[in-house]
Amino acid sequence: MKRACAIALNTFREAIRDRVLAGILGFATLYILLVIFLGALSLGDLMMIRSFGLAGVYVFGLLATIFLSSSILYKEIERRTLYFVLAKPVTRGEVVVGKFLGMFAAVALSVGIMAAIYLAVVAYEGGGMDTWGLLAIGFELVELGVFVALLICLSAVASPMTSTVCAILVLFTGHLLGSALEQAKTISGTAYMIIQALYTVLPNLEKFNIRDLVVHQVALTPTVVVAAVAYGGIYIAALLYVSWLFFRRREL
Amino acid sequence: MIEIRGLKKRYGKKEVVRGLDLKVPSGTIFGFLGPNGAGKTTTMKMAVGILNPTEGDIRIGELAATDQRIRERVGFMPEAPYFYDRLTGMEFMRFCGSLFAKHPSDEHHMRLLTLAGIVHAKDRPISTYSKGMKQRLGFAQALVNDPDYLFLDEPLDGLDPIGRKEVKDIIRELSTPRRTVFFNSHILADVEAICDRIGILHEGKLLYEGPVREFCAGKPLEDRFVETIERHQKEKR
Repeated sequence: MKRACAIALNTFREAIRDRVLAGILGFATLYILLVIFLGALSLGDLMMIRSFGLAGVYVFGLLATIFLSSSILYKEIERRTLYFVLAKPVTRGEVVVGKFLGMFAAVALSVGIMAAIYLAVVAYEGGGMDTWGLLAIGFELVELGVFVALLICLSAVASPMTSTVCAILVLFTGHLLGSALEQAKTISGTAYMIIQALYTVLPNLEKFNIRDLVVHQVALTPTVVVAAVAYGGIYIAALLYVSWLFFRRREL
Repeated sequence: MIEIRGLKKRYGKKEVVRGLDLKVPSGTIFGFLGPNGAGKTTTMKMAVGILNPTEGDIRIGELAATDQRIRERVGFMPEAPYFYDRLTGMEFMRFCGSLFAKHPSDEHHMRLLTLAGIVHAKDRPISTYSKGMKQRLGFAQALVNDPDYLFLDEPLDGLDPIGRKEVKDIIRELSTPRRTVFFNSHILADVEAICDRIGILHEGKLLYEGPVREFCAGKPLEDRFVETIERHQKEKR
């Protein structure tokens, strides 16, 4: 675990020094601050401010995740930087875990910065401390963790472009699967079976979307929170295991 | 002792290393020579655990090369190394050190960077390093765990004549009865100057292994090397 942590620290350092991340954070800050003007247009409607603010944190967090993680293993294999690591007493499993932890920490830091700006904007607009908003951001972070793990898995076998396209497809299907399954129930047959199979295999990302509930101040039960976090954790563990299966067979 | 027995490596149908048998005694500087595509780098990658052999095995000391524990005692410098460009030289050394059970101190890293001649650039991002400086950093990180077995893949590539002399001197200094240096190189004059023994690999097969002086028999290494390869090609026809 010590070696995985060393790889994580190295990955984190590399990620936070990436100019792309600084650019994304710059745009995110600008966007969240612009929500103040949006609030003024809607006569200080906090629902509007929360809705746009939380969406901004999510979208920019997702952008940062995809940009940083789509080439995470691929780049190291292509550029042979992994030779330095694998010639030392490090297993490929430790590389996968270390890469995940480091990249997730960088994504969490980015989301943390955006969350701080969001909370400041809500407080400035008279909304006080938006605890539920913070919980929604926590859920977003679990979803981004799933994406980091997914991109590590993809980047062990595919180019950054292919990984990005696949991740975007998973993003759309992952958010639509729940309602698609409901629709498919009415038609049943093969279509239903296919959607049910997809629903089982692909992550149900709607489990992490509590933004609408938070904006409309609908209370969440602790069970929902625990279930979503556990689902995210299990999915991440499964993806990291598959990443390791791919990566351990990879000739360098 | 590094012992290679019946080593084979296949990529699909192509056999890159074809039943290699080789013994490198402890405390020697061993030069592994061969034309491009002979299988030198592949052999070295299998020795340091980056690749798995298709057949055969490599023993380093008393352990198999696939055994994780032996890597605590192995140093490796890859050919034309790429680095984590956003790290500084010192951060990279610390990172490499942190992957071993015993974490070396910053003083140790400073000594190695001084030895490699890049201590003045230790706090600069690696992206600002010249090719020669990166080569030196690659060399320094290979020594981070004070290895008993040092594998260097083309360590003199990209260095100017002064740099080459410095690295050759360091390799000579590093040679102790405890430490075995195994290196690949195309620069035969340098191999002749610093190696005790050599191995010549061609198309995945070992053509010669033994003392460098015995092989040269009064001729320059380059001439004898070319003769050996040409003779092997003629025999094949």
